[in-house]
Amino acid sequence: MTAILETRGLDKHFGGLHVTNGIDFALGEGEVHCLIGPNGAGKSTFFRLLIGEYRPERGQVLYRGEDITALKPFERVRRGLSVKFQVPGIFPGLTVAHNLEIALQHHLEGASLGAEIRRLLAFLNLADAAGERAGTLSHGQKQWLEIGMAISLKPRLLLLDEPTAGMSPAETFATGEMVQSLNRDGVAILAIEHDMAFVRQIAQRVTVLHVGRIFAQGTTDEIVANEAVAAIYLGEAEAPRRTADA
Amino acid sequence: MLRLLRRLEGPQTLGRGPAFWTAFAGSLGLAVAYPWFADGYTVGNTAYFFCWVFMALGLCLIWGYGGALSFGQTAFFGLSGYAYGVLTLNVGAAYGFTLAAVVLAVALSAGFAGLLGYFLFFGRIGGVFLGIITLSVTLAMERFMAQTAGPEWRIGAARLNGYNGMSGMPPLTVPWLDGDLVLFPDVALYYALLGLLVVTYLALRILVNARFGNVLVAIRENPERAEMLGYDVRRYQLGAFVIGSALAGLSGTLYTAWGQYITPSSMGLTAAALPVIWVAVGGRGDLTATLVGTLAVLGGFQALTIYGSQYALVVMGLLLVVVVLAAPEGLVVGLMRGLSRLGRKAPAR
Amino acid sequence: MVLLDTAFAFLYQLGDAFAFLVLAACGLAVVFGMMGVINLAHGEFIMCGAYVTVATTRAGLPLPAGILAGALAAGAVGMVLERLVIRYLYGRPLDTIVATWGVSLAATQGTLIVLGSSMPGVGTPLGSFTLGSYSYSTYRVVLMLAALAVLAGLYLAFNATRFGTLARATIQVPHMAEALGVDTRKVYALTFGIGAALAGLTGGLYAPTMTIVPTMGATFIMEAFVTVVVGGADIFLGTAPAALVLGAVRAALTSWQGQLFGQIGLLVAVILVIRVLPRGISGLILRERA
Repeated sequence: MTAILETRGLDKHFGGLHVTNGIDFALGEGEVHCLIGPNGAGKSTFFRLLIGEYRPERGQVLYRGEDITALKPFERVRRGLSVKFQVPGIFPGLTVAHNLEIALQHHLEGASLGAEIRRLLAFLNLADAAGERAGTLSHGQKQWLEIGMAISLKPRLLLLDEPTAGMSPAETFATGEMVQSLNRDGVAILAIEHDMAFVRQIAQRVTVLHVGRIFAQGTTDEIVANEAVAAIYLGEAEAPRRTADA
Repeated sequence: MLRLLRRLEGPQTLGRGPAFWTAFAGSLGLAVAYPWFADGYTVGNTAYFFCWVFMALGLCLIWGYGGALSFGQTAFFGLSGYAYGVLTLNVGAAYGFTLAAVVLAVALSAGFAGLLGYFLFFGRIGGVFLGIITLSVTLAMERFMAQTAGPEWRIGAARLNGYNGMSGMPPLTVPWLDGDLVLFPDVALYYALLGLLVVTYLALRILVNARFGNVLVAIRENPERAEMLGYDVRRYQLGAFVIGSALAGLSGTLYTAWGQYITPSSMGLTAAALPVIWVAVGGRGDLTATLVGTLAVLGGFQALTIYGSQYALVVMGLLLVVVVLAAPEGLVVGLMRGLSRLGRKAPAR
Repeated sequence: MVLLDTAFAFLYQLGDAFAFLVLAACGLAVVFGMMGVINLAHGEFIMCGAYVTVATTRAGLPLPAGILAGALAAGAVGMVLERLVIRYLYGRPLDTIVATWGVSLAATQGTLIVLGSSMPGVGTPLGSFTLGSYSYSTYRVVLMLAALAVLAGLYLAFNATRFGTLARATIQVPHMAEALGVDTRKVYALTFGIGAALAGLTGGLYAPTMTIVPTMGATFIMEAFVTVVVGGADIFLGTAPAALVLGAVRAALTSWQGQLFGQIGLLVAVILVIRVLPRGISGLILRERA
């Protein structure tokens, strides 16, 4: 398996607190991979290291073999890495169609731009909302719109930070279908996720992060069956899902 | 060319369709016919209003579209104004040099804006800090120019003259078939400025509805997402800042050429507040609203000045507070939204 | 001996610049640090304090009492402004800065209309003292001590009083503070009032050294801005060190090239600093400590 994304000994600490501690991670071309772990495991920090919002103290991030550790977020995006944030990152004052246009204008214009916007709106179940201001959408629709913007860039790698946060089970399932459809087109996907039903639906492999290190790795079934993984979640299981990550 | 013209309308500008362009053509026709009905002084005074509008449109681009608070428009206004003075006092007005001086003076402002903007935007300064730093820059420039009263402060033949300011520079002069055409604040200058204003307004409409404008409003709405769509946010912000500041510089040169003087107080705290008031009252989010609002507020301000400029400024200050509290989108934007809603309802009846 | 003379002269200049920056900025910094709001009418609160101080002193009050009256008057005006305008703009910091600019403009010109273009001042008290070949104003030394006293007082107010604890809680976790029964609106109003009162105090302290004109607030505003920008959001970790650094820059440039270069150098220093430290000195210190 060739890796599309790789990290080597990735260290990030805030003062004395090591949030990620020497993470060696690889994501294969065309793979769907989920990253799970209890609150404070370092998932969000790891994610920010991957997209370039944080710089690591030590270690490297490699994208298709190229060292991108020093690159700024927009430079990574231009290489084919696209992102969906945990809190829906949309342009609230602009219409839904306009949101997509801004994402698509990199490589399309004129009539083909309009056609692609219509295709995406249908794919995202947002055809009826094209002319509405994005800020007025429901939470789940905002998440889809942002996924739409992320895939407008025709990425080879899509990073999703809790894509189903705040969604109903039906919306979560529809999101899973979107992810699988993208993956069939050859897009590699790395998702941070809490919802195990969603993980089961999409993941080919799962990595468990715990106190800034990789704790376990395997298929969904292996991870679910792993008693040590269950143990680190104990006491977490009943905790509210949406507390802030470190 | 046709593709560019199609960009005159788009999501970033209010006012579209035949109704709007008919109104636009009508207003332009009235503006063209205006000198036949008004006396020379009034026409020159209207030309004076036109001088300021460029600066307001520039602020509209930076603040309304780009979401970056630039309170230093007057710094570029003053810089270009003084530059025009220094250049023309030294070289004179022959061979159309005044026009070259305008270009040079505006380029100087654009260059200064590029330098300042580099430090601000590449230093990731945003929000309120951007506002107070740009304001500090204009205040520092006012202080600097105010203390240049001594005879040692001269650039060639041009004395800076401290707080009293510089005067006596030639007005805009166009080389014409039979000798030079001097644009005194009168009908000729009025037409020249009207033409420049229409071109600037239309060009800005095209700019904000093109890709550049799309990215600019995206940055205003959510800079993090804009960066994650692969845009170098800093470059776009810098671009808008340079263009907007150059327009402030254009206002400065035109004002200096109009009145043949420029003083340090044109860069002071009160002067710096005025463009903010015009743009906020009209509606910073739209070029047309800014244009209409600026002319309306300027007219209102001048009407109030007969009671004394301090009274007019108190009214302006309170107007700004009331607009921010009650109509943050601006009065003209509110009016235009209302009109277009009426227009849409009308056929249904 | 000459060296000692020069050293003291520089120290005096540094202290003078430090005091001016701290006093000009402290009110602005309290409001910005605690509420995230930049108050562009800050200079007009300073002006208000100066006018009240001069008026009461000329009416027969001793100068310290007059200064206190100036601070209280500015504080009261600040609370009124918070109630009428600022309260409706929380969560819209960019609109707040614009609205307070309108207030500033109306206040300056309103004062001009009501009280005329200038007011007879009070002379600088306490005379001067001589050290070596230079002579120094004693009152300037009082101003330096006042700046230190204000910093100490603020430190105590925000760290050792019940109000301080509530204020910091409100700033850090507003919802939690509300849930615990803190009236956050009152905390914001009081904080804004304290900021205005500090500005008034500054106006009162500097009133004997300046011409009393409606636009005098503009003399302070640029220095206040740059100090807050360089300092960042924390008044103790930011404003004080920023004032020290900028004071040194200004004192050095002033003694080398004169007053004006001191001011312009200040601005250039600020623009260079923010390129390196976008979150100001307090951002740097907090990052190092975290």
